[in-house]
Amino acid sequence: MRRVLAILAGLASVLAATWLYSLKHDTARLEATVHATERAIEKAEGDIAALKAERAWLGRPDRIDELARKQGLEPIRPEQYGRIGGRP
Amino acid sequence: MTALAANGSAVSIRLRMLAVAAGLALATLAVAGQLLRLGTVGFGDASMASAEPINQSFSRPDIVDRDGRIIATDVAANSLFADPALIFDRDEVAEKLSRALPGIDAEELRAQLADRNRRFVWIRRGLAPIEAQRVHDLGLPGLAFRRELKRVYPSGSLLGHIVGQVNPDNRGISGIEHFIDESGAAEPVHGAVTSSAQPVRLSVDLGVQHAVLDELTKAVARYRATGAAGLVMNVSSGEIVAAASWPPIDPNVPGSIPDKDKPDRLQGGVYELGSMFKALTIAMSLDDGLATLDKVYDVTRPLTFGRFEITDLHSLGRPLSVRDIFIHSSNVGAAMMAMEAGNSRQLVFLARMGLTEPIRTEAGPVAPPLLPQRWGNVETATIAFGHGIAVAPLQFTAVMASLVNGGHRVTPTFLARPLGSDSPGEVVIKPATSAAIRELMRLNVTMAHGTGRRAEVEGYRVGGKTGTAEMPGKGGYKEKSVISSFVSALPMDHPRYIMLVSLFEPQPEEGKSHGITAGLNAAPVTAAIVERVAPILGVLPRRVATVR
Repeated sequence: MRRVLAILAGLASVLAATWLYSLKHDTARLEATVHATERAIEKAEGDIAALKAERAWLGRPDRIDELARKQGLEPIRPEQYGRIGGRP
Repeated sequence: MTALAANGSAVSIRLRMLAVAAGLALATLAVAGQLLRLGTVGFGDASMASAEPINQSFSRPDIVDRDGRIIATDVAANSLFADPALIFDRDEVAEKLSRALPGIDAEELRAQLADRNRRFVWIRRGLAPIEAQRVHDLGLPGLAFRRELKRVYPSGSLLGHIVGQVNPDNRGISGIEHFIDESGAAEPVHGAVTSSAQPVRLSVDLGVQHAVLDELTKAVARYRATGAAGLVMNVSSGEIVAAASWPPIDPNVPGSIPDKDKPDRLQGGVYELGSMFKALTIAMSLDDGLATLDKVYDVTRPLTFGRFEITDLHSLGRPLSVRDIFIHSSNVGAAMMAMEAGNSRQLVFLARMGLTEPIRTEAGPVAPPLLPQRWGNVETATIAFGHGIAVAPLQFTAVMASLVNGGHRVTPTFLARPLGSDSPGEVVIKPATSAAIRELMRLNVTMAHGTGRRAEVEGYRVGGKTGTAEMPGKGGYKEKSVISSFVSALPMDHPRYIMLVSLFEPQPEEGKSHGITAGLNAAPVTAAIVERVAPILGVLPRRVATVR
């Protein structure tokens, strides 16, 4: 009887230890994933910041001005305004 | 005896076995306990010793224009540092780095790396990606990168004087950047963490700013001027829509601000602004009931103060009404009006308008006005037409805004005011006086002999006043070196914007005219600017054709 109990207790402790270690490994893996995701977020934020700056640089008024004039566009002149429907 | 002895030894053996078993059990428990502890608590964070100083950088909110277009933003960049203790060959490192990165002095770097007790030496911060790759490819031990924030200004030199600059730690040191630090919006960070704060929204419109700077650049070429300034301000809220100084300055170049060859001519210096002051003199006389627009002054003879004489450039040889004094820009007339008002009344009036006390904007302090040491009769007479008093063009424009906006004070600002918060400032002149000045400014452009006639743009109802001021030089004024300015408002019947255009030391336009007065240069430049910016500002021309 005592021997059976001892074997059961031994088995239980082995099981518990196995479960505990697998839990710990899962945690470690999750932590690694979190770190990787954090790094990815940081990288994405950096990329967004760079793209934002680049878009602003491409859209700067002196560049648009030059490109628009090459297309034959120019600032609207006073006589080019009109009212729709003849209402004053 | 033997039985006893045997019995005794059996007991002692059992005791010993028990002791051993207890010892083994304790040891096993200890091992199990430690295993449990490690399994649940973990090993703790492995920490590495570092001799590196705690290096703080700042993350800053973006600066955007009134439509949300980016003027300044943070990007992540690689900063290069060295650990002298890990460097094998100092000469090799210094040699290779100075070749890979232009602007690095090999001698200086060698000296910095000589101290092996130091574990951290910055070599270059905010490297461009391609530079970082070049250094990486050298494969030198003891060098490493760190991600840091770097401030960039995508619109380049468009607004350099106003936005200012940051230092290598990303702290603002001038202009709006300094204002952001003062208001506590820059947060200390480690690494490249961009700010999550709301962007700082300026009142400036990048489109208008570009048009103003572009026209000034053309004007500098056409009139061979040494500098130029242009300002567009909301006439009631004081919001500055464009503020350009030529030559412009690029804040992307570290340490480029301030530059004494590229001064901020709008708020960084004071100048005598000449005849534009006549608008103030006339407003004073009208507001204090000393004159009406029709009152006539005998301006046929020069005014003399001892050996000092005030004359008119082109005297008409007849008495002039206040209206004519403004339109013909008569120095004698303005001086007579100021003499009639008296010294103290003039000082009180200019103080009430806000022209005698220093002011500041978000871009920094405005150069304080330079008043005469002694405010005597001569000073009163010359200040009447804008000599003997020097003010920053930005401060002057804000004062002129009160003259045309119905008479309330205007506080210039570079920040976009939230909608519905533009409560008018304190009333400084009567609405009727303001209406009279508006009438004079418009007449000066519409009348055939008005000094501002070249500022007319069909449909936009521009009005304004010229000012040509000789610049002070060694031992008096330089006749050929002038500041030509035109202050204007549009549309003149109900002004929304006030503008100032100043050209520094303009020359006669080649093959066209011989003059250097403001009516020949600053006024037409104003017209060119109005034609480009009115559509952006939403100012509609008066006569609009009907589309059916």
